Amino acid sequence: MTLASAGSGSRAATPVLRKSSGFGTALGKRARLRIINVVCLVVLVVSAAIVLLPLFWLAETAFKSPLDAYVMPPKFIFSPTLVNFRDLLQEQSDQYGQDLVHSLVLLAASVSVALVLGTPAGYALSRSKFRGSRAVSVGLISIYIAPALVYIVPLYVLYQKLHLTGSYVSLVLYYETFELPFVTFMMRGFFSDVPLELDDAARVDGCSRWLAFRRILLPLVLPGLSTVAILAAIGSWGEYFGALIFSGPSTQTAPVDLANYIGLDASDWGALAAGSLFLIVPVLVLVTFLQRGYLRRITFRGSTG
Amino acid sequence: MSSLADRDILSAIPSAALGPGNSVPSAVRRPRNPVRRYRAWADRRFFALAAFPAFIVVAAVAVVPILLGVWLSFTDYQPLTPSLSWAGFTNYEGIFSGPNELFAHSAIINTLIFVGGALVVETVFGVLLAVVLARPMRGIAVFRALFVIPLMVNGVASTVTWRSLFNTSTGWINYFFKLVGLGQPNWLGNAHTAMPTIIFIDAWAGIPIVAIIVMSGMLLLPHEPMEAARLDGASAVAVFRHIVLPGIRPVLVFAIMFRMIDLFRQFAEFQLVTGGGPGVATTVLNFFVYQQTFVNGDIGFGAALAVLLVVMMVVPLLFLFRFARRVR
Repeated sequence: MTLASAGSGSRAATPVLRKSSGFGTALGKRARLRIINVVCLVVLVVSAAIVLLPLFWLAETAFKSPLDAYVMPPKFIFSPTLVNFRDLLQEQSDQYGQDLVHSLVLLAASVSVALVLGTPAGYALSRSKFRGSRAVSVGLISIYIAPALVYIVPLYVLYQKLHLTGSYVSLVLYYETFELPFVTFMMRGFFSDVPLELDDAARVDGCSRWLAFRRILLPLVLPGLSTVAILAAIGSWGEYFGALIFSGPSTQTAPVDLANYIGLDASDWGALAAGSLFLIVPVLVLVTFLQRGYLRRITFRGSTG
Repeated sequence: MSSLADRDILSAIPSAALGPGNSVPSAVRRPRNPVRRYRAWADRRFFALAAFPAFIVVAAVAVVPILLGVWLSFTDYQPLTPSLSWAGFTNYEGIFSGPNELFAHSAIINTLIFVGGALVVETVFGVLLAVVLARPMRGIAVFRALFVIPLMVNGVASTVTWRSLFNTSTGWINYFFKLVGLGQPNWLGNAHTAMPTIIFIDAWAGIPIVAIIVMSGMLLLPHEPMEAARLDGASAVAVFRHIVLPGIRPVLVFAIMFRMIDLFRQFAEFQLVTGGGPGVATTVLNFFVYQQTFVNGDIGFGAALAVLLVVMMVVPLLFLFRFARRVR
């Protein structure tokens, strides 16, 4: 069902209601409907304003000079400046720029590992029924939802013994505690939506299991795969707790660096806002861009096309 | 369920989590014919090989640390002193008596207040917002897209922003309060307002998430029963109570579980906004473990607290899970 059909469904209901009631009450109903619509609109606008308030503050403060940023009452009209971005990217020997690169490297590494290992595993889980396959799914979800601390505390000890703290390896391994179960479980779901007849048809035509997986099934679940990849990437990009504990000077991620700009009394709000935009804008752009395109085609009816 | 998935990126979550196919493949039955039998064996070998690498990595990065963590909770391990000895239940006893008793107790109570409070707020307002979002209106698609945004926004960035907005002297919230003629509370510095403020910050993302999930459930409900009930004279509230609510119950339970899992592991909001303060007013268990383990270096005690956190989380989740299954 699409949004359009949901809308037309209830719109079609209105004449039925009107027919059943007399002429006088129909007018009353229409007035009541208008009041309800106004109330709903007010609710929506107020909630939307609250949702957008922090984003508006961020976008504004990032382009305010430090003097304008601390003024009370707040200046909503000001002369925009790029000084915060210059401070962030140049004056501190480009620490933040490097940290953005660290975050990107970590994202690419952890998401690729999760996809390469998780996709075949999801396929295997969707197609083979063995004793305890239900337990495997429950186990995967449990591992995914367990609080981060359950892994961070023992891994911290383990990494210290192995002298891994501060390396990409330590971070990627930790990120797999949530990315790999997530990818495996989601891909199991997407593969389960593909009818078994497709596997069987490929086998009849002489494909091996591997060839059927690579040539026929993988292209079919590609929309799902890309959604899962994006969700995992957003998770990696925003992760804070593990990066705070495990990353070292040469692997420090952008969110961890951003948190450093909070002072006990006064914080550098301009730099914080500018740095935040670097974390937020790419995700929003990516999601809106992709949502318009092939993410829509997630639904597929396997055998019919 | 699959028809739900073509709407937006978010709907992939409930559809995959609620309706994963559990079909039994025909190829797995054991046939008599030797050629087919070989094929079945090859199939099993292929599946085992496909799942093996992921299985090994999950075991290495997740299962081993969990076991190690449980073991650590029975030791007195501190990274600064090289000694490591079996401590029995000392760490667990330390939660209920000893120098950390009061801190541990307030951390447990704060966790219950935060998770319970935020869950009630986000569920009630989330469902109300979903009712509005599910109505067919001109331009509603814009709002539906807009309420997905908090899910995409980086957690560190949004919490830091709220910290600035709630600043007593230079924050916008107090400026707006002043315009309307209200008082200027010290939101984050007062023990009575700090936790509600944190819950509000969490609800900023939580309410829209619940609303979007519940709304997608509402849009899938058939219209005929509702129209029939309205024709028979049922009030809108009665229709919601007796037709819509039972219909969206699985989705609603999923949304509540989803939020609960998130709430128990919320960390940035406490570390970056209040630092657990003032005093211990906002020190929840998750943050307390962080302090004990990485600030005070008492790994054994931290590990014991982490085990407690898992137990506190699993009990309500199992209850919800049973509730969700009973409905079906």
